[in-house]
Amino acid sequence: MTKTRTNQEWLYDLVAGGTLQDDAIADLRELLLRAALYFFSRNLDDFQGADPEGIHQRAEDCAQDALIAVMNHLQDFRGDSKFTTWAYKFAINVALVAVRQERWKGISLDALEFSEGKNLFERMMQGTSEEPTPERSALQTEVQRVLQEVIQRELTDKQRQVLVWMVFYEVPLDEVVRHLRSNRNAVYKLLHDARRKLKMGLEQHGFDVGETLSLFGPSR
Amino acid sequence: MQKNRFERWLENIQNTQDEEISCSECFDGVSHYVEVELSGEDAAVRLPQLKQHLAQCPACRAEYETLHDLQELENRGELPLLDDFQDLIP
Repeated sequence: MTKTRTNQEWLYDLVAGGTLQDDAIADLRELLLRAALYFFSRNLDDFQGADPEGIHQRAEDCAQDALIAVMNHLQDFRGDSKFTTWAYKFAINVALVAVRQERWKGISLDALEFSEGKNLFERMMQGTSEEPTPERSALQTEVQRVLQEVIQRELTDKQRQVLVWMVFYEVPLDEVVRHLRSNRNAVYKLLHDARRKLKMGLEQHGFDVGETLSLFGPSR
Repeated sequence: MQKNRFERWLENIQNTQDEEISCSECFDGVSHYVEVELSGEDAAVRLPQLKQHLAQCPACRAEYETLHDLQELENRGELPLLDDFQDLIP
């Protein structure tokens, strides 16, 4: 059972030295392990039948990595949340990267392309229960044509690649990061710039994005 | 009625801002965001940029959702113990 501590006690104990520090680190490690296991328990499908012992071992590794990250960032804790809430996010972050990596291992991102643009749009629209009216259908096709044109002509190769992977093939951000040997901020920026161009492209073709959205939602 | 992926993507395009915070900035602020939310305050009003990033970034959103639920369990004294995970991950 872990000891309950105030934020100040955590910050003091974790660097106090001696048994006070040892006990605090052991307690923090247990909490981080529980956070990693909690994330794994919500995402068991991604482990695709891996044995429980292996999953628990992965959680132990995540807890250790998260513990190191927390200790390295202690000076960044601003005190605007409980210390444990702040610390849990490191464990969840490490666990999420591990889960996504497990789910996508052996899949080559390079094989995922935009060559079948129209089919990709159709795949994304699965789940639409209503058959659109001919007029609505024509407008939908026009919106998709504009989006396709912007993707092919306006985006840089990197923006297009990241957008296609993440939006059309649902590749997780961290897998894109790993594949490009990049970081989350850089990949998010590529996607953000791509969205800005798509928004501008629709507006330039006379489509207010809000109205465009209503073309694809349920008819009123 | 549940939106399909295309509609959700159009929504993301619609809600794109010229300036958006980065994943690192989101990571820095997410624990505060969760605490504000669990205190009953409207976190989206207090921290609109963070809310906007969470809507756009699936990775940060997955982390936020887990942190939110984990913290809620801890606040209720229901955070699973290590032994409980033998059953949760059988």
